[in-house]
Amino acid sequence: MRRLLSEVFDRFGQARRIPWLDLVLVVGLAGLFLSFIDLGREWTGVHRQSITIDLSPAALPRYTMFSLFRGLLAYVLSLGFTIVYGYWAAKDRLAGRFLLPLLDILQSIPVLGFMPGLVLALVALFPHSNIGLEVAAVIMIFTGQAWNMTFSFVHSLRSIPADLREAATVYRFDWWRRLRNVELPFATMGLVWNSMMSMAGGWFFLMINESFQLGDRDFRLPGIGSYMSVAVEQGRVGAMLLAILAMITMIVVLDQVLWRPVVVWAQKFRVEEGGEQIVMTSWFLDWFRASRLVRALRGRFRDLRQRLAPPQVASAAPAAPELRAAVARNPRILSVVSLALLIGILVWGGVKLLHLLQQVPAGVWGVSITSAFITLGRVLLSTLIGTAWALPAGLAIGLSPRLSRIFQPIVQIAASFPAPMLFPLVIALLQWAGVTLGWGSILLMLLGTQWYILFNVIAGAMALPADLREAATSYRISGWRRFRTVYFPGVFPYLVTGWVTAAGGAWNASIVAEYVTFKGQTLRAHGLGAEISSAAAAANFPALAAAILVMALLVVAFNRTVWRWCYRVAEERFSLSR
Amino acid sequence: MSVPATARRKRTPDAREILCEARHISHDFTLPNGKPLRVLEDISVAVARDEVVALLGPSGSGKSTVLRILAGLIKPSQGEVLYKGQPLTGLNPGVAIVFQSFALYPWMTVRQNVQVVLEARGVQPAHAADRAERTIGRVGLGGFEDAYPRELSGGMKQRVGMARALVVDPEILFMDEPFSQVDALTAESLRAEVLDIWGAKERNPSSIVMVSHDIREVAFMANRIVVLGGNNPARVRTVVQNDLERPRDYQSPQCVALIDTLYSVITGSELPDVAPAAADREAGFIEPLPNVSPGEIVGLLEHLDTRGGKGDVFRIASQTNNEFGQVITLVKAAEMLNFVDTPKSAVLLEPEGRRFVKASPEQRKRIWREQLLKLSLFREVADVLRKQRGRPIDKDFVLETIVMRMPQEDYEKVFLTFIAWARFGELVSYDEAPGTISLYQRRRSNQVTPDAQSPGE
Repeated sequence: MRRLLSEVFDRFGQARRIPWLDLVLVVGLAGLFLSFIDLGREWTGVHRQSITIDLSPAALPRYTMFSLFRGLLAYVLSLGFTIVYGYWAAKDRLAGRFLLPLLDILQSIPVLGFMPGLVLALVALFPHSNIGLEVAAVIMIFTGQAWNMTFSFVHSLRSIPADLREAATVYRFDWWRRLRNVELPFATMGLVWNSMMSMAGGWFFLMINESFQLGDRDFRLPGIGSYMSVAVEQGRVGAMLLAILAMITMIVVLDQVLWRPVVVWAQKFRVEEGGEQIVMTSWFLDWFRASRLVRALRGRFRDLRQRLAPPQVASAAPAAPELRAAVARNPRILSVVSLALLIGILVWGGVKLLHLLQQVPAGVWGVSITSAFITLGRVLLSTLIGTAWALPAGLAIGLSPRLSRIFQPIVQIAASFPAPMLFPLVIALLQWAGVTLGWGSILLMLLGTQWYILFNVIAGAMALPADLREAATSYRISGWRRFRTVYFPGVFPYLVTGWVTAAGGAWNASIVAEYVTFKGQTLRAHGLGAEISSAAAAANFPALAAAILVMALLVVAFNRTVWRWCYRVAEERFSLSR
Repeated sequence: MSVPATARRKRTPDAREILCEARHISHDFTLPNGKPLRVLEDISVAVARDEVVALLGPSGSGKSTVLRILAGLIKPSQGEVLYKGQPLTGLNPGVAIVFQSFALYPWMTVRQNVQVVLEARGVQPAHAADRAERTIGRVGLGGFEDAYPRELSGGMKQRVGMARALVVDPEILFMDEPFSQVDALTAESLRAEVLDIWGAKERNPSSIVMVSHDIREVAFMANRIVVLGGNNPARVRTVVQNDLERPRDYQSPQCVALIDTLYSVITGSELPDVAPAAADREAGFIEPLPNVSPGEIVGLLEHLDTRGGKGDVFRIASQTNNEFGQVITLVKAAEMLNFVDTPKSAVLLEPEGRRFVKASPEQRKRIWREQLLKLSLFREVADVLRKQRGRPIDKDFVLETIVMRMPQEDYEKVFLTFIAWARFGELVSYDEAPGTISLYQRRRSNQVTPDAQSPGE
């Protein structure tokens, strides 16, 4: 008896601190599970004509969970798409020649333009439940997340060092083992960073989607976005602030509990050796690894796997060995058939589009094209204004280790924060100041996109080699000359990346910034974004298609000329790695 | 170092069983402009049971390509590869490769790196773990099973590379410059261990094929040394049989003699004493420019000057801590500019070279330029530029000339060398971004040099 007691004490003694950590973990998991069930009920629930949102603070965590799950679901979808599409594009050179430009175009198109059509189509498909709306939201977020992840994956697959590839060939890795043991690990670092960026970009779309109203029809979904929009409608400042707080909390928690641990874990996959590495740490990961519960579960899982392993002869096959073998046998056929299918769908879509465009009167084309250039002006102006303050600020922050320690996380959160949430507040401010939406929309665009510039400039300033700065100091190059000879050329490649991202974001933002529903009245500025939104509101699909097409063409043309030229200059003249 | 197994080994040369063989293979790479570049010409190599074959040659002589063709990683443009008498399709079934850069997967531990190749062959995980552990022990890495490659030194990494190759029990072990990224002392012990592993007669690998640029290394390790030489395409210069008793001693007279023989074979083929006749130079012939920088050539001349104007390729290589293949290229370049002469493997400073070393920086530029203008490529470009009267010409013009007249060369590399040499001689200016070449103009106001206008006349 005494022995038993002492044993129990021993156990408790060992685990004095850890059990309550485990408890938190269990509660957290249970909470996630319950939210998931809740979401399922919400999805399959009966479709409502208009949304009812409980503005009490107690209801907010539930709405936050809904928003979070939509974002995560879309991310899983993006990751799956990335791996399949990226693998296909990188492995089959022929298909890649078609798939990569397609991806480039998809990335350039302001996908927000498609939202009205998508929502209407999916709601029509599921008239009696909320699934249509929910799926539309997830797809919209997906379109904001997937492209850059896929590009990163393709790039990684194509830049695997030749010796690692040759070793895999000599030692007869089949495609699955190659993917699991060589290609995915090699791509992990890039994929993780791009995932973080994508997730941040996804909130932008989520907020718009959750608070989407088309004319007099209400397509809002319960979530932070709709909470905010109802709070604005009712003029409840306290609820607005709470929604903003909830959003920030979600971003911070997600960063600490998901991204940070993943980044730390992914360091295992870095390829460069030696040199000084900044080793990142994550309290959550340490805590997770220290948890007795997690360790016990992992041990149990390993046992289970080993017990199941022997019957499976030979290769440690994954869930679908037949599929694995089938893919290995006829990769060509699979690729060709899929490609043909994809091209078929695109051609069919193209024909449909042509039919639609035939109904567009010449006047609409004219309006679309002229307003496109007005919006282009706004996009460039917002990028310019963003640069004007973010370049000096970013340099100041990035060049000072102390400032960057303080501001880096803040800027990260600011960049992740979905600007559309703040639109109502800013519009109220603009109305009070008597600024028209024509100019005000530039400010609205700037709200979301300036952070990209700031973020990149900070990164560039931090990457500036110390010896270049020391040289400038020792030769007494200071002030404007120092900016011109050292700082500006040094950060230019990063600045270009910031510009391209910011301008892309601004095009998307124009759709919601030039056409705003505020306190029951519709404000619009003259521009292509407004054309798209109003055509969607009026369900005028030919005009909508024309406007989107014009915007897509302009964006692609601009990317192919101006931005590509900037990239070339950055690479040839200002690259520090050559 | 104990090599009893090796010493016991008795070979009967006439009853040799050929394991793997390349017959008259030639290989072309495709240049970025779509034209083929022949890198190997008519190469035949056979690997018999129980022998160590070395492919020796300076860098760029296609040794590694031959190895990859034998392994089935690359399909030769012409000729065939046989494995045990059968034509090879796909990978060579009896081969495992140890890579120069180790090619370990950085995200896997030592154990996982070794085990994964067994699992790829369908060995059951439990069995694979067992075999992996034994092999890791065999290469002397016991205790390091759970280390990641980044935690290991170069020598230990290469041991992992060897364990990974040995674990699949290959009949022939291929090693691609296995010790060139390992420090000298570690390399020494690895060589002996590789021979020990090979010498254990009852076990695979039965034979080893190694690629090396280190003459002493191949003299120590190989039974047969295939000397490759020439650049684009490379050919087999000679095959040297090495029947020295094992374990071998670098200092033994026979070994020293063998090393000397290999030295003279390589210099003889890389630096022929008879220069191409002047008549050849006229008929559209453009000298291929060796890919070395002017600074290196100046360094070589200074080096020779401080040693009485005389040197030897291999002594220079060891004194300057350079690979001998690189020194040979360097000497070739200096010879093209008439700065040195190369009777046998000796390198002598010519009067022109001596004048260059003694000259002031200004005069050096002029001497360099004079020598450049004796080379037809530089002369032609300078002529065209002079006819243009100060207007720049496009980079493509020079590229085109190189492609047309030196179809066997990597034109981008030749072009970069051309620019570097011409800039050093103040012959032309090159603006990278638009890619234009113009005659060099001095910007100094106090001194107008007529040279720049009419160089070398």
